[in-house]
Amino acid sequence: MYLGKGGEFTLPTLFLSERIMAEVVLKNLSKRFGDVVAVNSVDLSIEDKEFMVLVGPSGCGKSTVLRLVAGLENPTEGEIYIGEKLVNEVLPKDRDIAMVFQNYALYPHMSAYENMGFGLKLKKIDKKEIERRVNEAAEILGIKPLLKRKPKELSGGERQRVAVGRAIVRKPVVFLFDEPLSNLDAKLRVQMRFEIRKLHEQVKTTIIYVTHDQIEAMTMGDRIVVMKDGLIQQVGKPLELYKRPQNVFVGGFIGSPSMNFLEGEIIEENFKSFFVKGKFKIPLPDRLTRGLEKVTHKRWTLGVRPEDILLKNHQEGENFDARIDVVEPVGAETLLNVSADSNYLVVKISETHEFKPGQSVHLSFNQEHLHLFDENGERVG
Amino acid sequence: MAVYNSFFRWNVTNPTPTFSWFSNYAEVFHAPLFWLVLRNNLIYSFTTIPISMAFALFLAILINQKMGPIRSFYRGSLFYPTMIPMVAAAMLWVWIFNPGLGIFNYYLGFLGFPKIEWLYDMRYALLAIIIMSIWKNFGYYMLIFLAGLQSIPNDYYEAASIEGASAWNQFRYITFPMLAPATLFVFVVAIISSFQVFDQVFIMTQGGPGDRTNVLVFYIYQHAFRFWDLGMGSTLTTLFIIGLLFAIWLVFRVIGKRVYYEV
Repeated sequence: MYLGKGGEFTLPTLFLSERIMAEVVLKNLSKRFGDVVAVNSVDLSIEDKEFMVLVGPSGCGKSTVLRLVAGLENPTEGEIYIGEKLVNEVLPKDRDIAMVFQNYALYPHMSAYENMGFGLKLKKIDKKEIERRVNEAAEILGIKPLLKRKPKELSGGERQRVAVGRAIVRKPVVFLFDEPLSNLDAKLRVQMRFEIRKLHEQVKTTIIYVTHDQIEAMTMGDRIVVMKDGLIQQVGKPLELYKRPQNVFVGGFIGSPSMNFLEGEIIEENFKSFFVKGKFKIPLPDRLTRGLEKVTHKRWTLGVRPEDILLKNHQEGENFDARIDVVEPVGAETLLNVSADSNYLVVKISETHEFKPGQSVHLSFNQEHLHLFDENGERVG
Repeated sequence: MAVYNSFFRWNVTNPTPTFSWFSNYAEVFHAPLFWLVLRNNLIYSFTTIPISMAFALFLAILINQKMGPIRSFYRGSLFYPTMIPMVAAAMLWVWIFNPGLGIFNYYLGFLGFPKIEWLYDMRYALLAIIIMSIWKNFGYYMLIFLAGLQSIPNDYYEAASIEGASAWNQFRYITFPMLAPATLFVFVVAIISSFQVFDQVFIMTQGGPGDRTNVLVFYIYQHAFRFWDLGMGSTLTTLFIIGLLFAIWLVFRVIGKRVYYEV
């Protein structure tokens, strides 16, 4: 029933025929709704066969970008290219794309089979050919026994598969996914994540995938675009974003629990730089301060991921006193909310050490993984 | 009560009800006027129902388009006939159809038509009632269609436009099937109201000229409260109810199963 289960899998003929290169290029793309700027001068180049994830909080413009690519919205400014062809004036149906909607948009009065074959029927494709393609897609998605059912008689995950099936029978050069998993329960979401990823391995088509869930983005994308307020914040591979966030927003958005931020000053003592916030006086490695002029008299933000804070029971080397406020065991690891005067931090530890609220601990910071941001929130070093 | 009374001869000449089995029923079916009335009413039903429904659906789709604040003005003015009482509307239309002063003839005159004595001509009186009734009723149907249209999620149209559905195909494969519950409801309401037509006939023509606008309820009214033939009135009422229930049963039987509920 599940896609690719068992390993042995013959690539269906559906995807071997006439593959067209389909990179998607957005140039200076903007969309305004009245005074609201939904998408602001976006430049983006998505390679052929790439799995590109657009992620960001709601209202960041990610869905609008997708709808612009689909042709459901017209850009206010800028150009959209699909496979080297300028498509600004091309109707959605002629863009050679397929879209999977958040709530699937399966026609309730049609069976799964009719839903999947609808686009082909409109194209006046031969009935036998429609049957062949639908059956093939159903085979891949493991929904063959369900083809006669109406959407109402299908579970959320099954509807999701039918919606994906409707997209793949059309042999598009680009797949667009608009938050396809957000209506599923947590367990199914994890499974479908894997299945869509697997599908991409098989069909080798360009995919643009929109989500607000950074875990989905991290686990699925070849590359990720992080957006906020209509602007692209950063484009990169998942671990690049995690390890080198371009700004405070990306640092805070990617990763769960999110990065801790401390706002403070940098002082220099004996040719060494320290980040100071309240009682904290954290030595900064050279890689962060090298080349920085006039580090003093400015506000700086220091970012540190929960797993890069080390906890000690006893005084040892450079460290700071703190108190545990809340303990959240999540299985293999434990999250601790700690406070040191006015600083509140989340710490992730993998030991099964028994910590209790109210307990005093000593903190130190992993020098290798400190992130420094300037007063505009941009990465330094 | 009506069913019980329908088995009695009970009129001005027989003030005491006497049991008479099915004699009233036999009399109904032997009266040529009954068949004329039934024919009038069927003509009325078969014209007003499809025309007002088609008109209502068309206008509902039209005013469901994006057109800014002007939309509520259109919606209001199209719904206006439904809001005024039928009796007032009928009085209004008596004037509109007035052969000498009415605006109907006035405008038709521009198009080169001769003056028609709408309500007094045996050929046109029923048509006049039909025109007036369509005007009066379509607004209500339109409102139901409009509600139906607004409950269809936009996603379906977007998905369809990506799949290459033309405007007509979108109507045929999405709008129409998804509007089916609303359509069925409107259809049933339209059937009932088309057989209950009375006020406009009472005000505008009194069933005349020559019984050409005499319809079922008016016929019942005549028997019961003009001729004081209560036995006959009861008989006709019984037949009326049976006929109407049968018609609705038939509609649900034939169409009801094809209607797909739930979005």
